[in-house]
Amino acid sequence: MGASREDVLIMNVTIKVKRFDADAEKPESYWEEFTTEVADNATVLDALIQVREDQDGTLSLRCSCRSAICGSCAMRINGQGGLACKTPAVDAVIDGTITVEPAGNMPVIKDLVTNFDGFWDKINQVTPYLQPQGPEPEAEYIASNESMLHLSGVTACIMCGSCVSDCTVLEVDPTFLGPAALAKAYRFTADPRDGDEDGVSLDRLKDLGQKSGMWDCTRCMACVTACPKGVDPMDRIMALREQAMDAGLTNNNGARHAEAFVELVGHSGSLDELKLPVKTVGIFNVPALLSYVPVGIRSLRRGKLPSLFHKKIEGVENVRRLVKKLEK
Amino acid sequence: MKFAFYPGCVSRGGCPELYSAANLVCDKLGIELEEMPGASCTGAGVLQEKNRLLGDILNARTFAMAEKIGSPIMTICSTCQGVMAQARHRMNADADYLEEINSHLADEDLHFSGDIEIKHLLWVLIEDYGLEKLLPLVTKPLKGMRLSPFYGCYIVRPTEALQTDDNPERKVALETLIEALGATLVDFEGKTRCCGFPILTINPKNSMAMVAKHTAEVKDLGSDAMVTPCPLCHLNLDGFQPKAASQAGRSIDMPIIHLPQMIGMALGIAPKDLGMKRHIVSTQKLELKLQEA
Amino acid sequence: MLEHDVLVVGAGLAGMRAAIAASSRGANTAILSKVHPVRSHSNAAQGGINAALSDRGDAWEDHAYDTIKGSDFLGDQDAIEVMCKAAGQSLIDMEHFGVTFSRDEEGRLGTRAFGGQRRQRTFFVGDFTGQALLHVMFEQLLKSGVRSYEEWFVTSLIIEDGIVAGVMALEIRSGEIFAIRAKTVIFATGGCGRVFEPSTNALIVTGDGMALTYNAGASLMDMEMIQYHPTTLAGSGVLLSEAARGEGAYLLNKDGDRFMKVYAPNMLELASRDVVSRSEQTEINEGRGIDGCVLLDLRHLGENVIMEKLWQIRELGMDLVGKDMIKEPIPIRPGMHYIMGGIKTDIDGLTNIPRVYAAGECANVSVHGGNRLGANSLLDTIVFGERSGNHAAEAVKHIKYVDFDEQAKIKEEKARIQSILDRPQNGDRVSKLRLDMGTSMNDNIAVYRDEEGIKKTVNDLKDMKVRYQDVPVDSKGKIFNTDLIFHLELGFMLDVAETIAAGALERKESRGAQSRTDYPDRDDENWLKHILVTQGEDGPQLSTSEVSITQWEPVERTY
Repeated sequence: MGASREDVLIMNVTIKVKRFDADAEKPESYWEEFTTEVADNATVLDALIQVREDQDGTLSLRCSCRSAICGSCAMRINGQGGLACKTPAVDAVIDGTITVEPAGNMPVIKDLVTNFDGFWDKINQVTPYLQPQGPEPEAEYIASNESMLHLSGVTACIMCGSCVSDCTVLEVDPTFLGPAALAKAYRFTADPRDGDEDGVSLDRLKDLGQKSGMWDCTRCMACVTACPKGVDPMDRIMALREQAMDAGLTNNNGARHAEAFVELVGHSGSLDELKLPVKTVGIFNVPALLSYVPVGIRSLRRGKLPSLFHKKIEGVENVRRLVKKLEK
Repeated sequence: MKFAFYPGCVSRGGCPELYSAANLVCDKLGIELEEMPGASCTGAGVLQEKNRLLGDILNARTFAMAEKIGSPIMTICSTCQGVMAQARHRMNADADYLEEINSHLADEDLHFSGDIEIKHLLWVLIEDYGLEKLLPLVTKPLKGMRLSPFYGCYIVRPTEALQTDDNPERKVALETLIEALGATLVDFEGKTRCCGFPILTINPKNSMAMVAKHTAEVKDLGSDAMVTPCPLCHLNLDGFQPKAASQAGRSIDMPIIHLPQMIGMALGIAPKDLGMKRHIVSTQKLELKLQEA
Repeated sequence: MLEHDVLVVGAGLAGMRAAIAASSRGANTAILSKVHPVRSHSNAAQGGINAALSDRGDAWEDHAYDTIKGSDFLGDQDAIEVMCKAAGQSLIDMEHFGVTFSRDEEGRLGTRAFGGQRRQRTFFVGDFTGQALLHVMFEQLLKSGVRSYEEWFVTSLIIEDGIVAGVMALEIRSGEIFAIRAKTVIFATGGCGRVFEPSTNALIVTGDGMALTYNAGASLMDMEMIQYHPTTLAGSGVLLSEAARGEGAYLLNKDGDRFMKVYAPNMLELASRDVVSRSEQTEINEGRGIDGCVLLDLRHLGENVIMEKLWQIRELGMDLVGKDMIKEPIPIRPGMHYIMGGIKTDIDGLTNIPRVYAAGECANVSVHGGNRLGANSLLDTIVFGERSGNHAAEAVKHIKYVDFDEQAKIKEEKARIQSILDRPQNGDRVSKLRLDMGTSMNDNIAVYRDEEGIKKTVNDLKDMKVRYQDVPVDSKGKIFNTDLIFHLELGFMLDVAETIAAGALERKESRGAQSRTDYPDRDDENWLKHILVTQGEDGPQLSTSEVSITQWEPVERTY
């Protein structure tokens, strides 16, 4: 029964795993190499399962569906977060070896099993359930298919943690809400059924605009690269920012930064680097402005301080016209 | 070899040494550069947060201008490279969207065809110019110099817009160049992480933590300098390094050089002319190594 | 001691629905799962959920009849009536919870065609409806504040004087053993797919609840009714949703013929799953297959339809077999997918063990009888999950906790586990034993069966149970010892496999998913009954029970 085995090519794979034996007297991470034979269309997960089944049952990893829907097998493969069941082994071999480590930015419990408590805390923080206001209809809420399709792109998230593993902000600041929680939050702010009758979830946007929220993302796209389901967390965070600004929540550095950018480019066609930080922190924000003085002085001494008289580009009126035309 | 040169805002503002170094290097290599004085800022991804359509239109203008010149675009900033590539990707993928964009360009008698080559100097050297042509021009191989690459997020991700899957040499372009020029590569984990510049004014603590993390990492590995193709990264890693070191409670003292400065040194251009005196973190020790090489 | 009025074991759709229902009625409720709730296998359901909405001119009676016919008249009509009547409200409940169902042009819930249904009544989210429902249910679970024991594994039921007192459970993260006292226990542990190899099922689907209750005296019913899904990928056995056929995909043999016109001239590719699987298997057996497969062809649907409604399975095709269904047909074959059989319950989920309930795939009410229609399982889990939760929450108001010696139980369980950990290496491995079991089951108790083959598997299983007594583990550690978990699961699987083989041997007819080449006809006179298996001194004890018939007399079943 089934496809004949003779037609399936077998290849030898060396897989290097970062292990951690929590039961050891003095637990610490160590590398271990395994060699196994897999079909040429095998995934990295197939190889790991084979090692676990045939060679070393002490190797611990979470896995279940083998079809990129349960989210259990997120890990770093050759330094890149993703699902082991969605990574072809043949593509993951570098100089003869596949290198596998537990997902980043999470404490390790054992081998490739990480502690997701912090991950779930962040999800809980964004009130992750629908909060419709007003009376509940007897039948379904009316909503366009377009809006539901748009949301399905975000609800495709399987909470695997690949994005969190690679987030460069979480690497230096564990209090950041992170791409998974923020994308989850967007799933609600973008749902026409959540929030007021226009679907605007103002309370959520206010909360998400606080410290460690939507404005703390550094736009590095590591989460977008890691996500195996095309959720595009960073794009959702940017969409949150746009929603927040549209809702009038502009009294923060992040919003001022974006608005100042439009204003400054709209004025001279290129960026006035001196004015930008001032507009971002607010011209009356003396402490913040003072904090830039040391850098400013150093830059001035090296001839690196941008000119006070910022040059306009040629034909700047074209830019000004476009900015005005597209004003929101 | 000619390019529609797009220097970006920062090389004309906070990092003027990048602009002069890039011009000197291209001159020496015989790469012709024609600037587009009417081209605006790319928006750096920030403008796009407020109004993405506006950002795409502004970039489409630049693309259309380059098409009028009849040359591909060359950038010297990772952020410009990435933002432009993403804009192009969106317009290329959706004919209706491209039409909408072009309708806004019509007043200026500009039109974007939907596709144009946009390459950072880093890629131009590896792919178009070629190492076989570059290496014979190297008069001062950077022997003994230990250099670490720092790419800048926008030239690494997202891979689809940057077409790195079809051009895998781009993933290791900096390492390739460092070694080809005779220097010793000091590889490190943070080379494709974020420098923190985008959140400098929003979360300065995290921004400084990122700067400290990456510069300290290569310092402890024994690097002489970090090379970056992005002036925004340079501003943070160099300009704000003292602040970052102070927050981290340790000394770092890691010189950060621009890509054209590294190439320029190897081509025999004097560090003074490459504008290295402008850096906040002194490049003196590095220049000594150059003399010894 | 840990104690709860209602303890739900299993946090898939049925389990979470039960927990939310019980909690909303004021019961002290907890849910326990060996994986985090969102890792549950409900995730993998792709196609959709059925409901007959009267405001669209549909009628629950029609849905009920389609289901009864689909079950090959083995389904209990009283239970099916309950499910079909409740479907409309359950669907709206899900939408109000926030599920992002597909919509029509007027913004109302949209439908797609599905197998065995004469009217379009399958509501869906792309081709990942199960995942969509599961995650929304998890959101509601978080909202309810129900206590959740995540990555805890139930090792046995505690029965005192014939009444359930609670469960023994292993906290996987620490390796510690706990006793949890409960007034009622609701099992929602899903199917038993890993008993077969290959299977569409995830690695965690090991029939835990079926075995736990069976070993405590519960009756398992119609265990021989195993659904082989028509469109599974060769090799991995991963599922390609029926939604593909719902959107219009064709099944072709090696000559490029749409062979279903021979076997089911009216409904073609959308006949009931057992009919389609048998048709495919016949084509393959008679030499009209390609490498043991037939072809699923979606090319004529066009890129837009595939990208909007079937993009997930397109990814699976590209990732797992390297084929893009927009451009080429995908080789598929019947694969083990679902078990209609399970723990016998009444329409409120009660099993024959007092205070023990079951809901979802692990239960058999029976709403699916001899064959389950696509998109009826998601409905089953929600309707009967809710009913169990509601019933349990009421029941606990009138009962007390049952006492037991906690320390003694813990000591006993620890010793049992330790004895497994202490076993010496003997050359056998848990993975090898499981593979042997799965292969024997897939060889002889698949689409077509006969007495000789089934008996061979019955004997294989006896040998394997002996091997199981000695098979060791590699890992002796405490923290996250997955090796130990696999060992315990294998024990459950062998028990379940035994009941499946016993049922297949006993039912001397072909009905629904049971196709016996030695008894090729349906035999209502002798076999229009449920087959029950109960744990006995010398192995599985067989008996029968009546099928509930309310409105619809059994007739010949053709598509």
